[in-house]
Amino acid sequence: MPSSQTPSIAGTALDPTSVRPPLNDAEIVRVTPAELRDTLVRLRDEGCSMLLDLGAVDYLERSPRFDVAYHLLAMPAAVTSVAEIGTPRRVRVLAGVPGDDARLPSVVDLWPSADWAEREVWDLFGITFEGHPNLRRVQMPDEWQGHPLRKDYPLRGPATEATPRPAFALKSNVPAGTPPAGKVAEALQRQIARARGQDV
Amino acid sequence: MSAEAPHALEVLEKTGNTMTLSMGPQHPSTHGVLQVIVEVSGETVESLEMEIGYLHTGIEKSAENLFWTQAQTVIERMDYLNPVGNALCYTLAAERLLGITEKIPARAQAIRVVHSELTRISSHCVWLGTHAIDLGAISNFWYAFDIRENILDLVEASGGARMHPNYLRIGGVNGDLPAGWLEQLDVLIEKFPGRMHELRTMLQNNPIWRDRTIDIGIVTPEDAVKWSLSGPSLRGSGIAYDVRKAFPYCGYETYEFDVAVRSEGDAYARFLVRLDEMDESMRIIRQVRERLRTPGPVMVDDPKIVAPPKETIALSMEALIHHFKIVSEGFRVPPGDVYQAIESPRGELGYYLISNGNNRPYRIRTRPPSMYNLQALKQIAIGNLIADMVVMIGSLDPVFGEVDR
Repeated sequence: MPSSQTPSIAGTALDPTSVRPPLNDAEIVRVTPAELRDTLVRLRDEGCSMLLDLGAVDYLERSPRFDVAYHLLAMPAAVTSVAEIGTPRRVRVLAGVPGDDARLPSVVDLWPSADWAEREVWDLFGITFEGHPNLRRVQMPDEWQGHPLRKDYPLRGPATEATPRPAFALKSNVPAGTPPAGKVAEALQRQIARARGQDV
Repeated sequence: MSAEAPHALEVLEKTGNTMTLSMGPQHPSTHGVLQVIVEVSGETVESLEMEIGYLHTGIEKSAENLFWTQAQTVIERMDYLNPVGNALCYTLAAERLLGITEKIPARAQAIRVVHSELTRISSHCVWLGTHAIDLGAISNFWYAFDIRENILDLVEASGGARMHPNYLRIGGVNGDLPAGWLEQLDVLIEKFPGRMHELRTMLQNNPIWRDRTIDIGIVTPEDAVKWSLSGPSLRGSGIAYDVRKAFPYCGYETYEFDVAVRSEGDAYARFLVRLDEMDESMRIIRQVRERLRTPGPVMVDDPKIVAPPKETIALSMEALIHHFKIVSEGFRVPPGDVYQAIESPRGELGYYLISNGNNRPYRIRTRPPSMYNLQALKQIAIGNLIADMVVMIGSLDPVFGEVDR
């Protein structure tokens, strides 16, 4: 483990969200994975119709290990003025996800915007979303091993076979170290050679 | 497979009337590195899938491993057209965790507002210039970049760098505005209305521009909410949600400005919203200009968070110790979590920031407005012509540093 990983210093909180009164930035609702969908559907029917964001947090030593935070905003789905919107209601739903059974029901059917966000949580934290139509990596290359935003994933390290170099384009995975080819590349190489004073 | 770079637009598959095309990831009008795999029947888009992540640099992971002040450096690089906005949102969130929001000096808040609005204009200038180039109108680019150049000069004068000034700090801003800055700003204020008039004249009533953008990529208010759009993309559909009005920060409630909104929901509506927004930003800047006449402190007076002035370290033991502590191990932020949002040029930029009481942020989750806006293309593009893809992508104004982070 690299030394730059957050050191554990006495006095730091295992679950910071529980040690401090809320800052009134949003209403906070804590749920278990089983209650998640019912809670979100209820909140959506109460008017919190926009799923602003969903993202995960890894509290390595806490049980349950992960929190997935759903940020909801009350937004009328019709033409509205600034005065009608006023200060809309914000709700943050925190779903605790155990580390040994990292699964949550997908909400893509409720909000299509959850698609990439859920894929990102799967990609970077390894939490599976059951019912997601296309749960594959979104930020990291498809063949990547491991989930980088987990706290036990090292910050740096050599690119090994387990962590291959990212493939650049989907259809032309050029092996690392392949020299550039084609007319433009050849012209460029000639130019470099001329600049070095070599015969072309 | 040859090692040549992939073509910008490549036919992947052809069956009957339907063709699958790959657009990007190096297509000039994808405004970054985006691959769109689009299925067309004739010229009509039937379905599309997007590949993102080409610019993923693990900014959130890096930031977790830096001091609170250092993390801001990488965070500024997410949305590279709006570096001040990223830094602003992050510092506001950290200040809320520290409980010093009320103590930030008024002058620091005013400087933040003027920089945030200048960046909004410069970001919209880049959007306007590149969006117009996509549609074959190149002159606008130079006019728009002329304004941007003036703004970057101002940012360089105050922060020291053009693109990523790292000027904002947790607790205020890094040093007062240099002498002559306000006069330099006056030059821009003077010049801006004329330039805006030229930009509008060139496009707003241009028949080609209107033909290419009116009724293209329509988003209904229902779809806008379903796909979590925000910013000009949401306001182009008639929902006047602006974080500066709904959840004011930095004293935005004390400035007079209107929220630009259109109800048509097409690419032209989003274009007009952004143009109006540039005018409104300039209106705010003129108001801040008056407030910036009053001198005052620009950093919160708290030696535990802000190092005392450099010249005092030769005179005071405490100042030297504070300097040493802040430089070598940063400062600690009380444990807790907070969601802070600001109105970035692309919409609601939010940071869900968690501290566990340490000298590094425990977790920074970004709510990237570009990512959600771009994702809606999956629905917006259906039924439109393939030639209009560039219009729709451009009108959503994605920035891939932020989409991929």
